[in-house]
Amino acid sequence: MQEQNQQAYDRGTSIFSPDGRIYQVEYAREAIKRGTASVGVRTPDGVVLVADRQVRSRLIEEDSIEKLHRIDDHVAIASAGHVADARQLVDFAREQTQVNRLRYDEPIGVETLSKEITDYIQRYTQSGGVRPFGVALMVAGVDRDGTPRLFETDPSGTPYEWQATSIGGDRETLQGYLEENYRNDLDLDGGVRLALETLAQTSDEIDADTLEVTVVDAETATVRSLDHDEIESHVAELEEEEE
Amino acid sequence: MTEFTDPLTGESAIGDPTAPEIGSLPEGDHQHAADDETVNKTGTTTVGITTDDGVVVATDRRASLGGRFVSNKNVQKVEQIHPTAALTLVGSVGGAQSFIRTLRAESDLYETRRGESMSIHALATLAGNFARGGPFLAINPILGGVDEDGSHVYSIDPAGGVMKDDYTVTGSGMQLAYGTIEGNYDPEMSMDEARDLAVTAIAAATERDTGSGNGVVTAHVTADGVDIETFDSVADARGE
Repeated sequence: MQEQNQQAYDRGTSIFSPDGRIYQVEYAREAIKRGTASVGVRTPDGVVLVADRQVRSRLIEEDSIEKLHRIDDHVAIASAGHVADARQLVDFAREQTQVNRLRYDEPIGVETLSKEITDYIQRYTQSGGVRPFGVALMVAGVDRDGTPRLFETDPSGTPYEWQATSIGGDRETLQGYLEENYRNDLDLDGGVRLALETLAQTSDEIDADTLEVTVVDAETATVRSLDHDEIESHVAELEEEEE
Repeated sequence: MTEFTDPLTGESAIGDPTAPEIGSLPEGDHQHAADDETVNKTGTTTVGITTDDGVVVATDRRASLGGRFVSNKNVQKVEQIHPTAALTLVGSVGGAQSFIRTLRAESDLYETRRGESMSIHALATLAGNFARGGPFLAINPILGGVDEDGSHVYSIDPAGGVMKDDYTVTGSGMQLAYGTIEGNYDPEMSMDEARDLAVTAIAAATERDTGSGNGVVTAHVTADGVDIETFDSVADARGE
């Protein structure tokens, strides 16, 4: 009986179950857990995003697996979950940042952008014939006054602001590590190191080849992706510390 | 290009940078020439002068039909539209009044949604976008405001042109007022000195421009807010 009931509330996204749950949104969260993890760390000097690319085959071009996305000069987004869904939200975010520039001739605030995205996500939990976005995002950026900000979006359309967090698989482990080790006085390099250390909790070794690292620098309010050599030197430093 | 639509309404989910958040701007042709005679215009002289401490805005108080008949002698042609900014009414009274209401709503919504008030540059850009749609609003206001970057004066023309300056004048008495200010403006001026200069500029226009007259309204815009005062004559405004 339980099984049958549940199925009835499975079909439409805008239907509550008798105990007040929206199953499709919860399933979307499950889809995110299947994704590889990304970690975000906010420091006074800027925000760091680190992602691990899942490489299925040595023949695949690694650059074609995009987890970190530049949105505007001063904002980057990390995604976990359904890649195709993420791409839609990423492009939505890119358009919103340009709308803000057209309308006000100013870069959009990170909180404003995050809420534009979550408001859009929310519409897909309340409409018939559509399914929610199977994706979580971390929105990292710098406000006009130079303040670094880090937001998370979830499939229900709720925004959360964090000092440091992770999205994707193994979240409990990663979040636990961040809770233990986060300090609010890290510099950007320290932020990169903490993010890498955190990501390393889920695998035996971290490989610079499959990592993506993007920082949003508070002073210049610009997004910068670290190149392979820079990532490698951070990883090497980390490995030395361990030994 | 992906079309982002709201699944509930089917409408675009991407904001329109030239449309107000609430309501819409008028569409269609410039008002018919036949109606021109009955459309109230401000005629007007409005002045905005920046100082280190803020902005002084001064205007006359006359509304007229084509500058030939005084249709109102008590118009307040400068209104607060933002915690620290004021806009003047210049051109068609209807267009200017609706423009002010729209910008005020935008400014309030921006502030409550984002937790900070709009910068004056953002407000000027938005005003230009709204005016940009066409000359149907027939307005030519001055925006004067103060924010964390300092004091700003912008003129906004009927086609959406937005120009920043140290001081600016719009309206039918513009040449008279400019003649008064040129050579007498000093970037180091105090608010009181700027106010005296602005009132003198309105006085010159009042004497010779048929579209301007019937007293003076001044607005002091500082980081603390907007203070608007009305005077029945130039002499009153000068404290004589």
